[in-house]
Amino acid sequence: MSSGTYGLLAAAALALSGSAAWAANGDTLKAVQERGNLLCTGHDGSYLGFAEVDDKGEWQGIDIELCRAVATAIFGDPTKLTIIPISWAQRWPALQSGEVDMVIKASGATLSRDTELGLQFSLSYYLGTTKIMAHKELELTSLKDADGGTVCIPAGTTQQQQIASYGAKLGITLEPVIIEKTEELEQAYFSGRCDLYTQWGPVLAIARAAKGNPDEHVILPDVLAVEPEVIVMRPGDDNWIDIANWTLSALWFAEQEGITSANVDEIKANPPSPDVAKFLGGSPGMGASLGLSDDWAYNVIKNVGNYAEIFDRTLGADSPYKMDREMTALWNNGGVLYPYVID
Amino acid sequence: MTDTSPKRTIANTPPGWFDNVRRRYFPTPIQSVISILGLGLLGWILWTLLNWAVFSAVWDGQASPETCRAAAGACWTVIAQRWRIILFGLYPFDQQWRSALACVVVVAMVVLSCVPAFWAGRRLAAVWVLGTGLFYLLMKGGLLGLPLIGEEKWGGLALTLFIFVATCLIGFPLSIVLALLRRSELPVISKGIGLFIDAVRSLPLLSILFAFAVVVPFMLPGWLQTGKLYRVICGAALFFAAYQAEIIRGGMQGVALGQDEAAKSLGIGYWHRISRIILPQAMRNALPATINQFVISFKETSLVIVVGFFEILASGNAAYGTGDWTFAYREVYAFIALIYFVFVFSLSRYGAYLERRMAVGTF
Repeated sequence: MSSGTYGLLAAAALALSGSAAWAANGDTLKAVQERGNLLCTGHDGSYLGFAEVDDKGEWQGIDIELCRAVATAIFGDPTKLTIIPISWAQRWPALQSGEVDMVIKASGATLSRDTELGLQFSLSYYLGTTKIMAHKELELTSLKDADGGTVCIPAGTTQQQQIASYGAKLGITLEPVIIEKTEELEQAYFSGRCDLYTQWGPVLAIARAAKGNPDEHVILPDVLAVEPEVIVMRPGDDNWIDIANWTLSALWFAEQEGITSANVDEIKANPPSPDVAKFLGGSPGMGASLGLSDDWAYNVIKNVGNYAEIFDRTLGADSPYKMDREMTALWNNGGVLYPYVID
Repeated sequence: MTDTSPKRTIANTPPGWFDNVRRRYFPTPIQSVISILGLGLLGWILWTLLNWAVFSAVWDGQASPETCRAAAGACWTVIAQRWRIILFGLYPFDQQWRSALACVVVVAMVVLSCVPAFWAGRRLAAVWVLGTGLFYLLMKGGLLGLPLIGEEKWGGLALTLFIFVATCLIGFPLSIVLALLRRSELPVISKGIGLFIDAVRSLPLLSILFAFAVVVPFMLPGWLQTGKLYRVICGAALFFAAYQAEIIRGGMQGVALGQDEAAKSLGIGYWHRISRIILPQAMRNALPATINQFVISFKETSLVIVVGFFEILASGNAAYGTGDWTFAYREVYAFIALIYFVFVFSLSRYGAYLERRMAVGTF
């Protein structure tokens, strides 16, 4: 996502300290357990649906719920979590200096983050697509019909290149209107200054649902780019990456098996299969090798819910944004998410 | 002889307001037209603003977001529903009275130190040390049965006030030290401090804050590591001190050289000369610029948003940044502007009062 000039400064700070100086290398799990809470990322303000603040000043959103899930996996208690508000540019220095234990902040897996900054990624928990919204009265069915139209683009982001190259591929010309601040950008689109508005998918869908009249706008089927969002961690701690991956996997496994926070006790009492019994800690083997208790997955599902519950609460049907799962559905619903096998 | 020249009378009565208005705004037809147009425009802007903010606005604190969005005017419901986030940020809901009390303590401390009765070194120091200690105890807790609340949860107005007050508390004494060192007779010190002040002033505050929050932890040894909030305050204080030192130096240059020399010839020592003769007069000269610097520093606290602090602007962003209220950002920003206005306007009125008070006895 956008970071601008201060991203450069942050990268410089990283380079300055050298990749050898990963301050808190070593056993993150042990450090977290000794401290008694997990340090996870928030936002410097609100990032709708991913990290926002409710009426009581509590953090909500899908990224926050995943932090909660990891904290529950470790401690069996979702409140043993401290959310540190940080800006986009601060993500990697904060991770490096040990200010946070993991970054769950709508962060894409990219080549430079992986190889140059030396960061470690989990499985992808969300697939963010770059899409285009159009005024319905223009009666567009795809971007191909929009030749000569004006398009609102957030300044300094990858969307600028994406729409240019996608337009060139279709052989159409678009008139760009480039604006820095999201509020102004959306004001420009909704007031009719632009015919089209290109943006990272969730932001676009939320803008349509929450800021305009949803019936007056359509999101075109064109997908300009896909960005897998991942949990980002310090290098050199394989067990910590396993914990992140298995927490995500547990959320998906529970969804696949139909285990929810409401029926988890019932299913634990009468597990339908040996792998579900093991998953919920009825038979040993789920936790010891990760350094967690055997019923960690039970605790996660009981306290936080499975992936579908989390998604519905934060972005989907039970949220104000009413987003579809689309690609971020499980494999058996036409999506790309799948749990690891529990053997 | 009779006087044949026409009688001239001089109007002794001052012209009435009607004449005044006519003479100033409607002397010729063209100027009259311009005046009427200007007045019309002003009236229209005022009316639009009032209509948005008052007449067509939704004042019902319980209105649903849908009815609020459909209204033509402002939706003040968002303030009624989310004011706690703007004022207290992420501070735990059931402990927010502590944050409110802490704000009151800061305001009381500033008001007390503005009262002439408290202008004695010891009293001022007592007020500030007690006030800051009380603020810290209230916000952080961990003692007297108050639950511990980490700095990452501080936010809103309380955080903005804390950053401002701490910046001034560290920065102001530092600026006096810098200004005195810059006047040192040892060239190494005066040139060195001059270079330091110029270096700090030639960097943008934003990058100083960023460097203190992000880069400094990699350079400091472990035992010097402090919380991010305190590092950022140090950065802001350094920036404040560099500017304020130049303002004070300007004030010192306005004090006639002869005064210092006269004091020297009377055998008055350095500290006495500085504290009783030079600084009081320098402060009086520097007062308008100093108030200006305070006002600027108060507004610049909003820059800490780049290093992830929930000061009042970030809290405002979080207040409208939820599915129901995304459309109501204007109202939230208007509310925040009002808070800033109250603080900055009182500061500058106080500065004007000080100038009047200090002018007594000069010239």
